[in-house]
Amino acid sequence: MATEQELSDFLKSVEKRAFKRSVYHVRNEESALDIVQDSMMKLAEHYGHKPAAELPMLFQRILSNCTLDWFRRQKTRNALFSNMSDFDSAGEDGEFDLLETLNVQNHSDQTESAESATQRAQTLLEIETEIQELPTRQREAFLMRYWEELDVAETAVAMGCSEGSVKTHCSRAVHALGKALKAKGITL
Amino acid sequence: MTNSHQYQNELALDRFALRITARLSDATNELPYDISERLRAARVQALGKRKITAINTAFSVSASGNAASLTFGNEHLSWWDRVATAIPLLVLALGLIAINIIQNDNHANEIAEIDSALLTDDLPPTAYTDPGFAQFLKLSVGPNQ
Repeated sequence: MATEQELSDFLKSVEKRAFKRSVYHVRNEESALDIVQDSMMKLAEHYGHKPAAELPMLFQRILSNCTLDWFRRQKTRNALFSNMSDFDSAGEDGEFDLLETLNVQNHSDQTESAESATQRAQTLLEIETEIQELPTRQREAFLMRYWEELDVAETAVAMGCSEGSVKTHCSRAVHALGKALKAKGITL
Repeated sequence: MTNSHQYQNELALDRFALRITARLSDATNELPYDISERLRAARVQALGKRKITAINTAFSVSASGNAASLTFGNEHLSWWDRVATAIPLLVLALGLIAINIIQNDNHANEIAEIDSALLTDDLPPTAYTDPGFAQFLKLSVGPNQ
């Protein structure tokens, strides 16, 4: 059984990545925060007694389910209020305030030149955009497998599909990303 | 040869994917302060939820229909544990029955003592002025004659 400290450490280690992953999926920071909070609470409430080793996979599964629930709710809401949603602004989709990023980076790394910081931010933006453009399952498989560092079997369990499907999704995602970034002249 | 080529290809894909995620991780460490704080607050709230759950599972009362029973969390109690939990209730019930029997005995003894004291004691003279006693004497003397 995971102790409170272990659970806290685990949540601390995954919360930021979980937030970013949710942002890539739902493209809205407020919704992403809600999803992450829901996921954390569900994990603590229902699976807080599980061994610490099982927490990563459980959390990924809960996060995926919460994200799916969010999409379902959005679908229902959009079906009910389709005309209202037409007036919504684009919000944070694709918008990027370079000055904000530069401001943060100036605090974190005083020695980095403005040019390289800008270039780094630009590359990151391109990567994030391309990740958001991936089909949902490919994006999910790619992020779980390579960012959350789950192995193929764990990713398959978390996604509720076969290991073969995980490999296919990952391979397609990496190829698509490689092709898109190359087209934009970005090398890593 | 083909397998080796495939393996090399997979390795190259993995390396490329890890380079991408390394960039993402760098960006994640630089999240705005307000978002980091809100995530921290969410984490604390989630941990609070766990505490409440832990207390509830330690000792909970579950009610179904007209009956309520005490349960000890989600533990699966063995047969002996169930018997052991019933022992205090059994002892309580037996104790109550024993107290009732003893009380009844004591009450009967007290009444018997009063009766025997009345019967063995000398008859007070005032008893003869009691109309009930006079009637009793009349009736008890009558049949003997």
